[in-house]
Amino acid sequence: MSILTNELIFLNVECTSSDDVIKLLGNEMKKCGLVKDTYIDAVIAREIKYPTGLPTDGIKVAIPHTDNIHVLKSAIGIATLKKPVEFGIMGGDGEKLEAEIVFLLAIQDPKLQLEFLRKMTSLLCNGELLLGIKNSTTNEEIISLLSMLQN
Amino acid sequence: MTKKATQIMTNIKILSVCGSGVVSSSMIAEKMKDRLKENGYRVSTVEVNPGGVENALNGETFDFIAYTSPIHGKFDIPTINAVGFLTGFGEEEFIEEVLNTLKKLGK
Repeated sequence: MSILTNELIFLNVECTSSDDVIKLLGNEMKKCGLVKDTYIDAVIAREIKYPTGLPTDGIKVAIPHTDNIHVLKSAIGIATLKKPVEFGIMGGDGEKLEAEIVFLLAIQDPKLQLEFLRKMTSLLCNGELLLGIKNSTTNEEIISLLSMLQN
Repeated sequence: MTKKATQIMTNIKILSVCGSGVVSSSMIAEKMKDRLKENGYRVSTVEVNPGGVENALNGETFDFIAYTSPIHGKFDIPTINAVGFLTGFGEEEFIEEVLNTLKKLGK
């Protein structure tokens, strides 16, 4: 199973909070046997303490994740949102932003995923690509846009 | 036979801190390695979460700390906020601050 799969992509979903999005993607990861039962609660708890909203140029995103003890197999879940939801800003002092795309990351061993993380970082700096993801109407479109992320 | 050009690289060591010590710190670490290589630095990093900072500093010597999660306490080495570096929105400012910091350290 590759790190990015059809089952973990949700387009134009209606979520009302960051918890909602994390649960939506996290439950799918659980179903696929990628994360432990403790994963979702751990991500939500961590988001309060160390928020992951990123004030990127243009489309705002969030990259919720948690300690790898809750992860069984590395994966990425993607949700584009009908209406943005509020995430705290990473490294901020309680400031919030309106995230339009959420990338839920389950990283088991960062040393084995360095290339993926490196690509993910360049994606976060690519406003055009983020806009393309936001405007995608099919999962295939997203997968092809993110083909550069696949190892 | 032409002589191979050799560039002298300066070794530096950075403590990269994020909430989980896994994701953002690794992203920052890899990006710093790439960007600072262009400036003549060979970067090695250790990634930790905020709770692991003190331990890391006791065990090894670092040139500075790059962080994406607020770290509290007094440190003997410079600390630099790396969130802008991660989003690319503030990337040049981050690199500039890093280069200035290294210059002050005589590196």
